[in-house]
Amino acid sequence: MKKLFTIVLLLAFALLANMSLVTADMHGWWAEAAAPYAGSTIRGVSESTPPSNYVADVLAAQFTELTGINVEFETTSWDQMYSKAINDMEANTGIYDFVYIEQDIIYSYLAQDYLVNLTQFAADNPDLAYEGYDESAFTSFADYFKNADGDLFGVPMEAFVKVYLYRKDLFEDADIMAAFEEEYGYPLAPAENFDQYRDNAEFFTAYGESMDMDLWGTTVQGSTGHPASTYEFLESIGPSFGLYNWGINLEAGSAQSANGGALDGDTAVEALSFWLSMLPFAPPEATSSTWDEVASSFAAGRAAQGWVYGENAAWIATDESRSAVTGNVGVRLPVTAEGVVEAASMGDGYIGYYDGGAFGVPHSSRNKEATLLWLQFIGQESVQAEWAAAGARITHTATFDDPLIAEQDTKVDGYYTLLEEQGPLFAGAPPFPFHAQVREVIDPFIQRAILGELSPADALSQAAMAVDEELDRLGYGM
Amino acid sequence: MRNPRTGWLLLSPTLIILIVFGFMPFLYVLFVGFHEWNIFAAADGMHFNGLDNFRRLVFDNDFTTSLGLTAKFAVFAIASEVVLGFVLAQMLTRKFPGKSLFRIIHTFPLMVAPIAVGAIWRLLVIPGFGPVPFFLDRWFDLTYQIGTYPDQALWTSVIMDVWHWTPFVTLTMLAGLSSIPREPVEQAKVDGASRLQVFWYVTLPFLRPVLLTTVFIRIMDAIRTVDEVWMLAGGGPGTRFTGIYIWRVVFPKTDYGYGSSISIITLYLTIVLCWLLFIAISGRRKGEVE
Repeated sequence: MKKLFTIVLLLAFALLANMSLVTADMHGWWAEAAAPYAGSTIRGVSESTPPSNYVADVLAAQFTELTGINVEFETTSWDQMYSKAINDMEANTGIYDFVYIEQDIIYSYLAQDYLVNLTQFAADNPDLAYEGYDESAFTSFADYFKNADGDLFGVPMEAFVKVYLYRKDLFEDADIMAAFEEEYGYPLAPAENFDQYRDNAEFFTAYGESMDMDLWGTTVQGSTGHPASTYEFLESIGPSFGLYNWGINLEAGSAQSANGGALDGDTAVEALSFWLSMLPFAPPEATSSTWDEVASSFAAGRAAQGWVYGENAAWIATDESRSAVTGNVGVRLPVTAEGVVEAASMGDGYIGYYDGGAFGVPHSSRNKEATLLWLQFIGQESVQAEWAAAGARITHTATFDDPLIAEQDTKVDGYYTLLEEQGPLFAGAPPFPFHAQVREVIDPFIQRAILGELSPADALSQAAMAVDEELDRLGYGM
Repeated sequence: MRNPRTGWLLLSPTLIILIVFGFMPFLYVLFVGFHEWNIFAAADGMHFNGLDNFRRLVFDNDFTTSLGLTAKFAVFAIASEVVLGFVLAQMLTRKFPGKSLFRIIHTFPLMVAPIAVGAIWRLLVIPGFGPVPFFLDRWFDLTYQIGTYPDQALWTSVIMDVWHWTPFVTLTMLAGLSSIPREPVEQAKVDGASRLQVFWYVTLPFLRPVLLTTVFIRIMDAIRTVDEVWMLAGGGPGTRFTGIYIWRVVFPKTDYGYGSSISIITLYLTIVLCWLLFIAISGRRKGEVE
């Protein structure tokens, strides 16, 4: 017995020694590779989101400790982030060494040749290539940031889907369930079709009013002063009805049905009409809400169900300091029209938005080598799980199997499982090199429809015409 | 004998700064305004397109709407600021308990950056969370939603601007009032002039240069308002002022050529407006000499 104990002790000691040697070796590699750049500072800019804030608060400090390279990471508003990054890259000023590239803008950046080919750059600098960093470890979301040759232009740092969230405490309350069934003639449940969604929204709005509660039936990301409303319509509601690629036919260079587009078609009008009909059942802040306010409204318990970006799912479900609905968050696929899921399963369309972004290195960066080290650091396997738990983002295939994520998954009602298994039903933004330009054209029409100044049909008809004019002006028209 | 070269030498640093940072950028914007230039267009670089950008803005409903909204915003905000500023300045020329404290508190908004002013007001008025809509609803049963009602967004912007800039007008008016000699005022009173007559025939003419300068500064500020209104309402319907429209065209849309042409026309309109006001307030006509 004593002998066995000694053997076990020795084995454990050997294992520990080996681990510490590996760790020391790993630390040694970073320090050695970064030695020429120690003391330098790399600067980056991103939108202030849970995953970005984790980078700023945790990963940057860890990297600096390992390498001696300082990381100044600016997390700002979405609009400002784009302005700063694009102005810097266009003017070639070199203020930023890494910029956030949202999936929908990558095509514009690649068309302008703003970004360094990271695969090539690592191959050209073998001394800087960290063996713990493997491009093939990323999920298929990384494909959005690759060129035709499979070379990577951005290290994925967040990826999530926009899901249907609902409050389990309300949907599973016996009295509420009975009241709903009595009024609508069928059992209360998370919505699986648009009629049911509407009934739920109407019921909970009336319920909130009758109980003198600050409760409404649904979220609506309907800001009339921000592109968020256009995004919710084009990238979440539209696809769930079968309106894809913003209704723009890139080959035909048109958004108008008459020319091969679909932005003013029946499906689009039906989708917009449904979405606008949800406004009376949304909290009063809906017309001032971007994605951030929608998440805050849901976390404050002001909506019974809604479309919420997945990056917020974790903190809404688990962070008691910020959320009033922890432990009561249900997660499902967003509601879709008949046939949309089947079509998406066959690769013919998609049901909603697979959002996310990567960090890329602009050609204008003056510290490309140090930045390559930084991007490999955030792209390595070992930092992924805690980052995923904090920011509800997964960019590595292996992260799904991490025990920490498995534990978190139960608290977020299977969000991570949904992301892994149903993620392929979602898709990123269409590959437009004119993304922001055309969205800016569509914004005012969606906003006027929200205000009731234009009917859905008129708003989309005028928007489609305006898009075609803009496409002509940009040189992508018919 | 004076050497003019010494004067030019002393002026040269300022002149160089003005030329490099003021005049040359203006010339560049003017140059870009005659080009089609969007960095995300299929064709690379700038392409001369003559007066096309200027022709386009005449038919641009968004631009003309933004001009109308800006005019409305400027008229109501500046008129309110001038009236309020004058009343407060008059008040501050007299003695009353707590005057010093009032003057300090009254000047506080001036010290706040416009973007912070926008953020403060957004927190105050955002539906669902802000105290203003909450109490308006609770006490007066009024629905107040700046995202839903463009008029409410516009009037909130006006009130926010008045809150922010009235102290500036008060201070300039106070300086103007303090510099008015006592003799003409006392003379007018001795001659039996009423308070209104004293104000109209004595105070106002003395205040005219200060008033003119203040109004000019505020007009220029109001026309180029972006940050605080953008923070408040994002430049949605009701608050899509010209400055915000230019920002949207130039930055998110990266339509540099068109954005430059709008900037130039807006500058031109500002100069014309100020000139007309100068004529109106100063009463000066062509050929008149001071």
